[in-house]
Amino acid sequence: MGKFNRLKSPSKFLNSNLKVQYANRWTFKVSELINEVQIDHSPAFTKHVNDTVSSIRNSIDKIPDNLVVTGEEAAGFVRDVGADKVEFKFKKPKSIEIGGSYSIKCVVKPDISVDLFIQLPKECFHEKDYLNHRYHAKRFVYLCVISKSLKSDSSFAKVEWSTLQNEARKPVLLVYPADKLAEVPGFFVRIIPTAKSLFNAAKLDLKRNNVRALNQGEISLPTPRYNCSILEDVCLEDNTEFLKKTFLGWKALGEALVLLKVWARQRDFIHSHDGLNGYLIAIILSYLVAHEKVNSSMRPLQIFRVTLDFIANSKLWTRGLFLQKQGEIKILKEDRMLYKQLFPVVLFDSTTHINLTFRINDSGFSELQNEASLTLQCFGKSGDSAFEDIFMTKIDFAAKYDYCVRLNLKGNSEFYSSGYCLDEECWRLYEKKVHSLLSQGLNDRAKSIRVIWRNIPSCCSLENGLSTLDGEPLLAGISLSSLDKAFRVVDIGPDAEKKEEATRFRKFWGEKAELRRFKDGKIAESTVWESEQWMKHLILKRIVEYILLRHLSITKNSIEQTVDQLDFSLLHGVEDPMSFSASLLGAFDVLSKRLRLIEDIPLKVSSVQPLHPAFRFTSVFPPEPHPLASEKGNVPRLHKLTSSCIQPLEVMIQLEGSGNWPMDDVAIEKTKSAFLLKIGESLENSWGMTCTATEDDVDVFQSGYAFRLKILHERGLSLVKREIGSDQGKRVSSADQKLFVHSQHSSMINGLQGVFPIYGPVVRLAKRWVASHMFSACLSEEAIELLVAHLFVKPLPFTVPCSRITGFLRFLRLLAEYDWTFSPLIVDINIDFNASDKKEIHDKFMLTRKGYEESSQNISPAMFLATSYDKASEAWTRLSPNILELKRLVAYARSSANLLTRLVFQDQTESDRWECLFCTPLTNYDAVILLHGDRLPYPQHLLFPSKLNHGRLVARGNASKAFHPFMLPGDLRGSLDKLKNKLLVDFDPLRCYIADLQKECNTLKLWYDSLGGDAVGLTWERSCSKKRDREEASDAEDPIDVLKAVGEAGKGFVKSVHFLKAPRLMN
Amino acid sequence: MGNLKEKVDKKKQKRSKKDNNSKFSEKDAMIKKEDERSKVNKPAEKKKRKREKGNNFDGGDAIQTSREDDQTKAEGEKKMNKLRKKKQRSEEQNNALVGKYHQPGSESEVGFNEQKCKSKKTKKKKKEHDTSKEEENKVEKRGETDHGEAYCISSVDEDCSKGLKKWLTDYHQSRPGLKVLQQRLDEFIISHEEKLEQERKEREAQVAEGGWTVVKHHKGRKKTTDSESGITVGSVAPAAVENQMTKKKPKEVGLEFYRFQKREAQRSEIMALRSKFEEDRKRIQQLRAARKFRPY
Repeated sequence: MGKFNRLKSPSKFLNSNLKVQYANRWTFKVSELINEVQIDHSPAFTKHVNDTVSSIRNSIDKIPDNLVVTGEEAAGFVRDVGADKVEFKFKKPKSIEIGGSYSIKCVVKPDISVDLFIQLPKECFHEKDYLNHRYHAKRFVYLCVISKSLKSDSSFAKVEWSTLQNEARKPVLLVYPADKLAEVPGFFVRIIPTAKSLFNAAKLDLKRNNVRALNQGEISLPTPRYNCSILEDVCLEDNTEFLKKTFLGWKALGEALVLLKVWARQRDFIHSHDGLNGYLIAIILSYLVAHEKVNSSMRPLQIFRVTLDFIANSKLWTRGLFLQKQGEIKILKEDRMLYKQLFPVVLFDSTTHINLTFRINDSGFSELQNEASLTLQCFGKSGDSAFEDIFMTKIDFAAKYDYCVRLNLKGNSEFYSSGYCLDEECWRLYEKKVHSLLSQGLNDRAKSIRVIWRNIPSCCSLENGLSTLDGEPLLAGISLSSLDKAFRVVDIGPDAEKKEEATRFRKFWGEKAELRRFKDGKIAESTVWESEQWMKHLILKRIVEYILLRHLSITKNSIEQTVDQLDFSLLHGVEDPMSFSASLLGAFDVLSKRLRLIEDIPLKVSSVQPLHPAFRFTSVFPPEPHPLASEKGNVPRLHKLTSSCIQPLEVMIQLEGSGNWPMDDVAIEKTKSAFLLKIGESLENSWGMTCTATEDDVDVFQSGYAFRLKILHERGLSLVKREIGSDQGKRVSSADQKLFVHSQHSSMINGLQGVFPIYGPVVRLAKRWVASHMFSACLSEEAIELLVAHLFVKPLPFTVPCSRITGFLRFLRLLAEYDWTFSPLIVDINIDFNASDKKEIHDKFMLTRKGYEESSQNISPAMFLATSYDKASEAWTRLSPNILELKRLVAYARSSANLLTRLVFQDQTESDRWECLFCTPLTNYDAVILLHGDRLPYPQHLLFPSKLNHGRLVARGNASKAFHPFMLPGDLRGSLDKLKNKLLVDFDPLRCYIADLQKECNTLKLWYDSLGGDAVGLTWERSCSKKRDREEASDAEDPIDVLKAVGEAGKGFVKSVHFLKAPRLMN
Repeated sequence: MGNLKEKVDKKKQKRSKKDNNSKFSEKDAMIKKEDERSKVNKPAEKKKRKREKGNNFDGGDAIQTSREDDQTKAEGEKKMNKLRKKKQRSEEQNNALVGKYHQPGSESEVGFNEQKCKSKKTKKKKKEHDTSKEEENKVEKRGETDHGEAYCISSVDEDCSKGLKKWLTDYHQSRPGLKVLQQRLDEFIISHEEKLEQERKEREAQVAEGGWTVVKHHKGRKKTTDSESGITVGSVAPAAVENQMTKKKPKEVGLEFYRFQKREAQRSEIMALRSKFEEDRKRIQQLRAARKFRPY
């Protein structure tokens, strides 16, 4: 008790402790993050920078003054920007200064660069050079001269062209020094020309026209963006000076800037030319400082939050921001209004000459605001993982948007037909065009649409003109508003009576528009996208394709859409087996009715619950109705490919309570069997259903499906519970308990799937992926369902996924990036965990991690999945995956996630194809067994026949004639009963084979695909201790002999056994 | 699918042929066939094996990118026929290259398309392998000498003790029909009840020997069936059971009734917080060790 004496007021202590604790972990993580990404301005680094800069200076100094320069240097560029009169005499730059983030010590890894401002000398320019891109041309030619000189200098390894914020008419030079410093790999200097006091700012007012080519006859259109582009250079140095004044000597502000940069960089859809960049973030921060929204007592994280809050919620954005205080603003009200009309965001610099945010467009800004508010939600909701969600999670196009569309416009001449650069550049105009087309076409189906064309490749030769800048694809991301809207079949347009709107509608949709009369009597223009249920996710794809083809002069091949690229893995022939689900559910309803009606058994059936994943739409291959599995009646006409196997679907039954049940486990199970047999018999007698049974399972056929009946006996449950209570170490899980957990899981997932219809397809892709990489033994189907459920229940920092590809990508990333060793994954499907539940889970989790300090291998379960019915993660991941399996799983997931991301951003190449995601490399095993593909129970489930062209062939065998996956024509004759006997329920040779192998040899670990793969991977299990190793080494079995025995065990099923690597006998 | 159909048809033909022959002759023919094949196949198979060797060197299409490897490949192909030892060594190198993937949990990018081995890594692996070289040599040699040809799994359709045939037999045996199953169950339950009865009798006998009668309090809940008519009196609704099992929420009232309870609660909460604080510190240390702060 003495401890508490000094704590006079416990509640105070409590609060402060909580805060300290919360802040503690945050501050630690944040400071570690800052240390990680910030660059140390060590003497060595500073010297390196200074040396590079001074050698650049020397190199420029060597250029002779008064060198006459003409446009010939870069004829292509000059022609394409449309400049006349480019000649000038070269003079040295007025000054060469370091600017940018280096000057305020806020460089953020991994891009380590220093901005070098070169002030263009006034002598080289005429007073009127702001006209007709003359400035841009001269600027480029001037840089060309410098680049020539630098290229001939041996102290630079490489000189490359790049551009300022993706603006092709404003190139910059990237200079890589020849001397490298190990601390800063890939270091380069960016040479940016500035135009301080070159031009009179009044001439570049936004109402003025400065590109005469834009004039149409007498009318001269203003060129606000062109003017801003020049003004930016004019004001660049002043603004940098302003930033320096704000940032230097204020560590917390600098760190906040670093945090914001990290935050923005993780989100590539706002960190772009029409969104944020480091410079703009710094400007926004200094705005907040100038307006006293940020003060010197704040910590970096606080400043970060304030900034995001400002971005997301401030009303000031609608009025325009000024870096000066209220009283000092010298701008006319009309001008302000004009700015607001022209730009979605207005942020004036300290001189009030230029809107620094002139590149930001509508969609860029609204996405920025959305993202900022999402991040603020993360602070509130995510709890422990907030830091990871905000700073460590990559939120790129592929993971953020539900539908990604890629346009390959290489060689398309449409978009620059009226010139590359007028007021705006042609690429930006094209972005806008695509955006407006998509938003008009998709209407309220889309929540947000983002179009970005990062058209300038990393190294390009601008001298030859701008026509080569179309190599990169244009990306469009679409977030769905809701699935109901996105899957809508009919779009109702304007009323037929509104002539004007109707013609506009017709013009937009062309032949797709039709006049329809609707149920409520309304006659309106409309578009109809008829589609089967399982193809509804393709409606949006069809619309996008239709619109783009109609309004842009592009071919079908140049539109790449990601939505359906992985559907091949789920199809059954040409159809998705999911289309049978309705008939399955119908059959189940009939069955459950019949079960309840049974009278001739001692206890009545009180409830029937489906357990199999097919009932909750999460089975990769839900069964299709089998012609032989229907009730008695006519012999059905059998087509030639009638499967000889049928997959049973588990159904759980509960009986009325009774006191007469036996007390011990075995007897309970036997009694259940007896009940089930009676039930089966009764169904046979009264409904003509067929029943077949083994000692453990009873299956009944109905409407083409086989149902496997199970009885849950509640008392069995409580029996086991008591046992656990008395002895923690001994975990007994009886059949009843397993059933109970299954039923809980099943009903929970069923509910979730009802809320999120896209959940099912994502799970199916995930299951297919896990199986096709031969992890069937490691990760149970239910665990996969929970992992995917987590993506839907806790979507932050994203929103809930609305397409299968996006969901699948997030699943892979979750698997690859989650900190499985140190954190439990809490899947709170009904969102009903309170603090004490969480604490309980956490305590249980810590118990499982106790062994970690002794050895990092000593963790079980390696993957801790807590749910409301299973807080200790005992149900699905207790035994597998173990730590090694999990490591392998994570490595595969990471590599697949990277591949999938690449496929969203780029075209397929020879080695990067969509199929590769489900095609596992067989070289990663010590030995491989190939099976006869035509002896698998469902050969049509096999994705790719496996091939192996290295390793040693150890054994090979022929296929047995005893089993065929399809009924042979000879078998099809005969009575229905006879035929039914030939139907094999739940016969899976692979499963039998695996069981036999596991019984026989324990030196092998098996990796297989339970969904119908034709290969089994083998790895040698490592022996436990070295000592035993040595002893065994002498008399260890010959691996070749082992493999032969393995082949023998799969007689008639195994095609060949290949030996790749010998076991490692010594460590 | 078409292919499959063909196969199925072919098999049917074969089968019908066989059916015509007598069983005896069929077997005979099989044996003959086997013999013939083993004779004929020997030279052919040797060739095949050699080809395979070649494959060993150029087969790993994705794996081998290092120059060193190309050398071994050329070397291997040239001298394969002459020097067996060299061949072995080169194969070992190959093995070493593959070794990158040896560990199931290797963190490296796995497969698909980027199966380029970094030469550094392979070198490292090679060193590791040096230690076990002899051991492997042995293995290799045995493999080479004893089993020059791939072993052929024989009697695919006759042997019922292994493989597909066995699984099918097992399957059919496990489904003897409802009647048989019912009978077995009845037998089990009768014997089980007899056993219980006997146990009870023994217990009673034991008790009686001591001259004592143990009076036991009868535990358990009330019967739900009327013993006379066998009518169910009350059924346990599953919802109610679930409710009982999942939602045993402690009563909220009364926990903070007395002041000392309040104080105790606060104290325990502080203790909990402290332990959490400690945990936090530990966790931070772990994090520091793991260093997961690289957002790129």
